[in-house]
Amino acid sequence: MKRFYFFSLLLMALVMGMGVKAAAQDMPHIYINPGHGGHDSDDRNVVVPPFASGDTAGFWESNSNLWKGFALQEVLRKKGYTTSISRLANQTSNDLALSTIVALCNQSGADVFYSIHSNATGAGENYRINFPLGLYRGPDNQPIVPESDRLALELVKVLYQNQSTVWTSNYATRGDWSFYPQWNNQGLGVLRGNNAISMLDEGSFHDYIPETYRLINHDYDWVEGFNFSIGADNFFGYSETLPQGIITGNLRDERVMRTATYVMHGADARQPINGATVRLLDLYDNELATTTTDQLQNGIYLFKYLDPGQYKVEVSEPEHFTQTKIVEVTANAVTYCNFDLKKVRNTPPEVVSYSPVWNDGDDPVLCNTPVVINFNWDMDIPSTEAAFEISPAVEGSFTWEDTNYRLVFTPTDAYDVNTHYTVTVRASAEHAGGTAMEHDFTMGFTTQERNHMAVTALFPREDVAVHYKSPIIELRTDAQVNGLNVYDNFHVYDKNGNELGYNRRQLKCGNSTSPYGFVRLPMANDFNVGEKYRLYVERWVQDMDGIHLAEEIDHEFVAVDAGEAKAEQVIYDGEQVDGITTGGSNVNAKVTAVTTHLFGSKAMQLAYEFDAEDDEPVATASFAEPLEQQFTAGDTIMLHIDGDMSCNELLACFEAVDGDGDDFDLSLGDIDYHGWRFVKCPVENRGTFRLKGFAVKHHTQGYAKNMGLTGKLILDDVLWSEGEIFESGVSETTLAGVTVQPNPSSDYIVASAAGYIRGVELYGMNGQLVARNGANYINVTGIAAGTYVFKVYVNGLVSTHKVVVVH
Amino acid sequence: MKRIFFALMVGWALVAVAQRVTVTEQSRLLPVEGPAYYPVLSHDGEQLLFTSESTQGLNLYDFGTRAVTRVSDEPGAGYGAVFGGDGSIYYVSQERRENKLIYRTGHRYDQATGRSAVVLEAQHGPMQPVAATRGGAMKSRARNYSSAKAVGTAVYTQGSEVIIDIAGRERRFSPVESWAGYLWASLSPDGQRVAFFAAEQGIIIIDLNGNVLARLGNYEMPCWYDDNYLVAQNTTDDGRQFTSSQILLLKADGTYKHELTRPTSMTMQPTAGGGKIVYTTIDGNLTLMKINIQQ
Ligand SMILES: [Zn+2]
Repeated sequence: MKRFYFFSLLLMALVMGMGVKAAAQDMPHIYINPGHGGHDSDDRNVVVPPFASGDTAGFWESNSNLWKGFALQEVLRKKGYTTSISRLANQTSNDLALSTIVALCNQSGADVFYSIHSNATGAGENYRINFPLGLYRGPDNQPIVPESDRLALELVKVLYQNQSTVWTSNYATRGDWSFYPQWNNQGLGVLRGNNAISMLDEGSFHDYIPETYRLINHDYDWVEGFNFSIGADNFFGYSETLPQGIITGNLRDERVMRTATYVMHGADARQPINGATVRLLDLYDNELATTTTDQLQNGIYLFKYLDPGQYKVEVSEPEHFTQTKIVEVTANAVTYCNFDLKKVRNTPPEVVSYSPVWNDGDDPVLCNTPVVINFNWDMDIPSTEAAFEISPAVEGSFTWEDTNYRLVFTPTDAYDVNTHYTVTVRASAEHAGGTAMEHDFTMGFTTQERNHMAVTALFPREDVAVHYKSPIIELRTDAQVNGLNVYDNFHVYDKNGNELGYNRRQLKCGNSTSPYGFVRLPMANDFNVGEKYRLYVERWVQDMDGIHLAEEIDHEFVAVDAGEAKAEQVIYDGEQVDGITTGGSNVNAKVTAVTTHLFGSKAMQLAYEFDAEDDEPVATASFAEPLEQQFTAGDTIMLHIDGDMSCNELLACFEAVDGDGDDFDLSLGDIDYHGWRFVKCPVENRGTFRLKGFAVKHHTQGYAKNMGLTGKLILDDVLWSEGEIFESGVSETTLAGVTVQPNPSSDYIVASAAGYIRGVELYGMNGQLVARNGANYINVTGIAAGTYVFKVYVNGLVSTHKVVVVH
Repeated sequence: MKRIFFALMVGWALVAVAQRVTVTEQSRLLPVEGPAYYPVLSHDGEQLLFTSESTQGLNLYDFGTRAVTRVSDEPGAGYGAVFGGDGSIYYVSQERRENKLIYRTGHRYDQATGRSAVVLEAQHGPMQPVAATRGGAMKSRARNYSSAKAVGTAVYTQGSEVIIDIAGRERRFSPVESWAGYLWASLSPDGQRVAFFAAEQGIIIIDLNGNVLARLGNYEMPCWYDDNYLVAQNTTDDGRQFTSSQILLLKADGTYKHELTRPTSMTMQPTAGGGKIVYTTIDGNLTLMKINIQQ
């Protein structure tokens, strides 16, 4: 019965069609040229997993062109067309010369010539497009063989109807001379001298990876071949050349995204369904045919040659709910029927694993540890994020991974130190299918005692003077700095807000063998003397554990010329080092005259290497005889130091003349800076002194504990000036920007400065040290009332203030 | 047997004394205006047929008078036109009708009168002019035409067959496998052998009984230069356009090959006759070449 029906339909169609088509021998002859062949150098291979480069089972344009050609030949023959095809196999020998193809087409007497190809952008991998393009011989709109432009247009219009793919723009037709202007009107080889109405079709873009996967699928190619036949029908003005139609479509998950990095447009971003069973049923649920989608990320299915009428298409796949659609098939047409499948999530969501896993007694976790929660299903984002709680509350952000199976919570800054946190995912969290969890989920962990990276030293600190030449920026930290994103986090701006560049080849970062963490950034260019600059270090500078700074650093500093000429008397010019001897304890030291200088042509260098094991290493450089110039209280010693940021303390060593006073060492501050600096310091001791030499003293505790185990102290012009003497015989040298208050005081004396205060000291008027603190204050509640000298160590300089203690 | 024969031939090729081929003349055919394609030399080399890039129209150039005669203005006339052994020119024109099908008409051009006559009525489907030693013929799917009852020997191809028609007795041969088909059959000047092209195989030389005598390699458009040599086209492409094209001289026994032009010259569509070789270039520059072969 059915068979009879089919034949009568076919007969009817033939009889009806004859009216249009006249005699059978007057049906068109179509020459089919599946482009390329042989999987060789003039073929096109797009490498997509699981296929290796060169694997002939992967995408080759010669393969898909051939499958399209097969389908076109099969369908055209059913429709009564005469066909010829240039190849039926895919060896290099089947890849005929272009002129041979033309000659074969001409000899065959074909009316129409189709060369079947696919396109490629030939651009970088981030630029991918997809649309059908038809090319004919000649300039745009002036085909050499008349009607070839119409042939191309009728085809690409049909191809563009294909709903199994994702098009990025409309179809196009072009003349090959205009499309390939660089070929000087030579055009496509298969169209040269071709006497048929002829075109070359670039059906879609095979380097658009979702399309690559579709083109590997023979059913998808078959549909394109079928569409070619419709294009031919439309060109010749035929209809109903085939009494049957086809159903095809694309199966995708309704919401699960594809996990891939290649470009995906529109619905192609969602996961195609591999291995789905597609059943074709009549309206009484009798199975007529069944097929399966392949494992190649395309979700394509096809049912060929169906009598017109209504059908059911049923799609099932174990991980998705079965879906059925009723579709209408019409003769000589494609019915597109795509499915967006809903994933089966047949159990309530629950947490299957998480981190950090922490139990009482375990080591505390890093203060930036993300909370990672893996669920058994892909989760609904809004309800799950709403169900997430952390206590004590921490500001943080959510990211979703593994197609929403994994939730990651990352604190924006850091957890508090030594704190126990509890994380709860309330039962209200739902999976993507809308079912909530059965129970709350709870986890907890305790944090470590460190949640930020500490700054131990920095150059330049706020408001310090930086020698303009070859400036260097350096940050020191309590842990090694991860150098990966240094340039993103360190910024130096000029007074106009322009960001300045670094000498990137000279960038240095600490590594695992460095005794302290640091980033050293030499500037690309010198600064301008007298101008202000801004140092901005973002808080995202982090250590190897991702622990970052507590706060950003953002302050100004000023560029100076430390080598400006001075009016004061030079007592040592550094030009020669004859007679200077080195000494100290637990040190290897050497003095030389070096060409790094500010004045004259040389400067004195004391290079030293401390024994790291020793408690109090000191390096000294002593003149053969103390210098002639005599210092008395109130005089000032001034000198030029080329800092190497050793953070060691520099001392000037004085010797009493003829027993007038006691020998003493005067602190010139820590060398916690890079480049030249002009340092001056008053002499406060009573007596008469001459400068004997210099000493470099290593800090065995405090911020500089591990720094400066080796170093080079370079000194140029040392000067003397006679000081003003106030009543106690101690000179007051107040640095700009340093204030000390209250004054008088009965409890605390507090120093403030724009820069970093390393410590303060309180001296009696006799020069005896009374109190010292590594902070910016001294508690004077236990100190006798009276007048004192308060020294503030800031930015490597000493600011001296007269203070009064009252009770 | 076949295998032994082949081995013997190769052995012979190795000991053969190398020929020396020198190009004695190579000149642009100046009287021809505009790009010209599909040149065909007469057997005596005195006349040349050629057409335009679109194969519209057919022109006849006479080397003696240096005159160009317009044989036809019709579309397709320039493709596959031949000189008959009777001096007439046989060609096929094509027209596209309302139904978009291509109809072909066979013509015979009489050089004596300068007139063309329709010899095969317009019909849909393939039609090709065929040269015969004493006349010409027209082959189509439905009907054929012959210029006389006895036109001597004619050879042509259809599908994957080479047809040898001697004195009206037609024999069809498929001596080598070729799925896509045979093309470009021609009879050697001495009338003893046939050269043709088989897709996927290349140029084949057979005797009049269809026995394969030699395989000359995967080149196109073979044309007899003399009884011992042929010219042919050798192209490469990237699937879309030609990347190289040159003219080769091939010895009919398969023992010798010589590059008459460089691969980069983009020379193509060679024809030969009367000691002349004419070819064109990808942009349609007709060139006359003469060579000297020293054995
Ligand atoms: Zn291609």
